[in-house]
Amino acid sequence: MANFNTHFMVASGASAIVSGTLLSMEVVAPEQAVNAFILGTLGGLLPDVDSAHSTSIKVGFNVLSLLMTIMLIFVKSSTYSLIEMFIVAGLVFVGIRYALLDIFRKISKHRGMFHSIPVAFIWGIVIAILMQYFFGLNSLVSWVYGFMVTTGYFVHLILDELYSVDLRNKRMKKSSGTAMKFGKLKTSKDKIQTAIIYASIPILMNIAPDTTLIVNALFSYDAWLTFKDVLLPYDGRWFLH
Amino acid sequence: MKILVKIALLGSISGVFLGCVPAPKPQIGIGLGGLISQQVKRVSNSLPVAENRVVDREYGAKPLHYMNAIRSYFTNKIPRGGLSKYKYGEPKRAYKKEGFAFGGDISWRGWLVETSIATPTRTGRLLTPKPYMVLFSGEQIVEHILGYSHKLITKVDP
Repeated sequence: MANFNTHFMVASGASAIVSGTLLSMEVVAPEQAVNAFILGTLGGLLPDVDSAHSTSIKVGFNVLSLLMTIMLIFVKSSTYSLIEMFIVAGLVFVGIRYALLDIFRKISKHRGMFHSIPVAFIWGIVIAILMQYFFGLNSLVSWVYGFMVTTGYFVHLILDELYSVDLRNKRMKKSSGTAMKFGKLKTSKDKIQTAIIYASIPILMNIAPDTTLIVNALFSYDAWLTFKDVLLPYDGRWFLH
Repeated sequence: MKILVKIALLGSISGVFLGCVPAPKPQIGIGLGGLISQQVKRVSNSLPVAENRVVDREYGAKPLHYMNAIRSYFTNKIPRGGLSKYKYGEPKRAYKKEGFAFGGDISWRGWLVETSIATPTRTGRLLTPKPYMVLFSGEQIVEHILGYSHKLITKVDP
């Protein structure tokens, strides 16, 4: 299993490549590419959020609690007094950072369903929904951000699987196959969890933003041609533009 | 006991956030009763032209010169906007809500023009046209949104 630093470095490297490519293909604007990079890196840390004492869970809950506190200040700044806002913001921060984290630690199990392919997609869809409904972003940018989180998530899962290969002893470690899986069907609890996760995908897709733009921008023949256009200097003059 | 305190804390936070959800707003009439047809006389260099200008009480005046406005607006907004090919739909009444993070209130009500823009790439190849919704307040462009649909935009006219 790769450690936090390895996950952070690899996820940020992969996110830089993907967001840079999207910027070059003119799918996103420069400021959106920066956000995409940050979200991709965070996506690369997300799967370890279910590990009770990992750095990821602390980083994840710090970011979440700060985000929710800032959002609350945005929403209530015009109606609350400074003292009211200070009290409520403190309550929200402490509640999420400590109370919610403690409950989450109790109910989650490391290398459970959090380390699975469908959950990677669910995170992407949830991010796309939040971006459109909460921040009013257009469908393309919302989906690009969701795509970046899913990409970062996949990078994490692949890295964990690669680390389960013991190259010196030429054998597979016990952890092999636990990081990148489609579901767990060992116990009845596993089966229910897997069924809920798969059932939630079409429900979430039903409320998610329109996918036409992201499909055209990333997964169409036109997108492929655009990628080829930006891959090499179009006039053959290297570094002389 | 400790867990009860935590649950109570979480409950109070949920309550605060539920309180942040804006109360349901009164139903917005589509304003058909408010449609007024106005005769606007304009003086041009050649001949005086009479135009039938639609003014809606809720949504304001329907933009007349939206094609030129959109073209000049996008010239500086998108890469190679001046070299792009434009197609325009008819203006339709619509309104937009703010994202829930900003309160979720109606932030704009006016006329929306669906526009498709085919932009050339840096190599000159014309891309598949991109759909845009251009939001007008009278003759003024307020904002543009990529795509023909958005969860926070409601088109009143089909």
